[in-house]
Amino acid sequence: MSAIEVNDLRKSYGQFEAVRGISFSVELGEVFCVLGPNGAGKTTTTEILEGYRTRDSGQVSVLGFDPAGGPRGLRERVGIVLQSCGVQADLSVAELIDMYGRYYHERRSAEELIKIVELDAKRETRARQLSGGQRRRLDLALALVGDPDLIFLDEPTTGFDPHARRQAWSTIRSLCELGKTIFLTTHFMDEAQTLADRVAVMRAGTIVAEGRPDELGGRELRPSEIRFTLPDGHVAAELPSMPGAEVTREGDRVLVATHAVVPTTALITGWAVEQTIELANFSVTRPTLEDIYLELTGEASQ
Amino acid sequence: MSPKGLRRDLSLLGWQVLYEQRAFWRNRARAFFAFLFPILFLLIFSSIFHGTTIALGRGRTITYVTYFVPGILAYGVIATTFLNMAISTAVLRDDGVLKRMAGTPLPGWAYVGARIISTLIVTAALTVVTLGVGHFVYNANVRGSTLPGLIATLALGAGAFTALGVGLVRYISNAEAAPAVVNAAILPLTFISGIWFHFHLSSTLSDIAKVFPVRALADGLQHAFNPFTTGSGFEGSDLLTLAIWLVVGCVLMVRFLRNPERA
Repeated sequence: MSAIEVNDLRKSYGQFEAVRGISFSVELGEVFCVLGPNGAGKTTTTEILEGYRTRDSGQVSVLGFDPAGGPRGLRERVGIVLQSCGVQADLSVAELIDMYGRYYHERRSAEELIKIVELDAKRETRARQLSGGQRRRLDLALALVGDPDLIFLDEPTTGFDPHARRQAWSTIRSLCELGKTIFLTTHFMDEAQTLADRVAVMRAGTIVAEGRPDELGGRELRPSEIRFTLPDGHVAAELPSMPGAEVTREGDRVLVATHAVVPTTALITGWAVEQTIELANFSVTRPTLEDIYLELTGEASQ
Repeated sequence: MSPKGLRRDLSLLGWQVLYEQRAFWRNRARAFFAFLFPILFLLIFSSIFHGTTIALGRGRTITYVTYFVPGILAYGVIATTFLNMAISTAVLRDDGVLKRMAGTPLPGWAYVGARIISTLIVTAALTVVTLGVGHFVYNANVRGSTLPGLIATLALGAGAFTALGVGLVRYISNAEAAPAVVNAAILPLTFISGIWFHFHLSSTLSDIAKVFPVRALADGLQHAFNPFTTGSGFEGSDLLTLAIWLVVGCVLMVRFLRNPERA
């Protein structure tokens, strides 16, 4: 059984079609990431799966439940980390974990949770007095308190400093090791690349690409790029012939696109050594997930 | 639902009441605003007007304190139910707490029930303190004979104002505006409803006041305190007004709770 099955899901707000017939499935134990710019329909999709919103049409199944209306059996088994969702601010970390824990039949130990999210030192601190990062960690603890099978993380590291992000990533990875299914939305490419088993890229209510992060958008099929600057008095036409490579000028730099990175690099550098000339700013890059993403979501041109 | 499931949900409700109470008293500013404010008013006004009397007509006079204790009790009930419920619910909505709660297995009715019970506990405590101060400090006593009327008025009034407080949140665009909105809705009414002073109002103002529940609550309580009242202290027209507003409040409350996110 899949954890999540979505078939031709649609949702409009008045005239605006937020989600335009998307289909995908998430396997049990998988980290599935929906990547897309603001307004792509990520949050609408997530909220339909969580049971907060009703859909206009399409089939949706979450852990075997229809999420519309938020059935209690489903709420027992999912943990939700929403964007900027508060807690009862006058209660302490330990009190909140106890209070929310009581709602679930299956319950994780408070001690263990406090350790996982590293809030040991703050257990008696009221939620009001926690820093932003600590509050997000409390959010995560509260999402895990019912020992869920499926966890929704809506932009879990937005607003984190780099250190806190690394910490959150390692926590999320430890959740995968426990066999949890994770449904993640983000607009950070590196987050998707680091955490996700599969990525779906959304744009304007549709899924424009789906696959493993390293295969997304035919990424492994795209040429790598070699760039350098020729010294004055030399032109690109002097370069040796490089089979399969495409040479273009990019400002004052030369751009060589090729699938045969190593031989082509050897040809260029061998030629330069022979001619005893310096190739300034020499670099070799694979297309990054970011390039693919910007291309897919049409943001590169904006 | 199975009896076992129901018992578990009721125990969840009980725990929730406990946590709501803890959160309420721990927030000093809110507890002061809802709880100590009315008692402070009682002490100030009673000291200023100590010894003054109010003519009720037909040669009957009562002391100002006998008139003011039930009046400020009405204000206190409104503060702990209507003002407190509307403001705190608007904050919970804006902070996303209501949304978070909706994502947990705690049934909605248990959460709302716990918030209402917790509010009524605060109201009951305020009532006891107000009546205690009136009795021991100002000799404004509750009479045994009119106690049933006093309790009926308090119960209907607290219920109506709690429901109205929750229902009003639908019309409060953001939590920062909440104190302004609720006070704008209540303060003018308290003046034309004879809570602070005994006015002889123009018939227009008096007719306006009679439509709203503030006057009904104050008048019902004053009636029970009035030493000239005979019988059990029930003031039928006030109780009817409060009952109607209770129904209105419940309709508004349910409308808000169906879709709390939309202001």
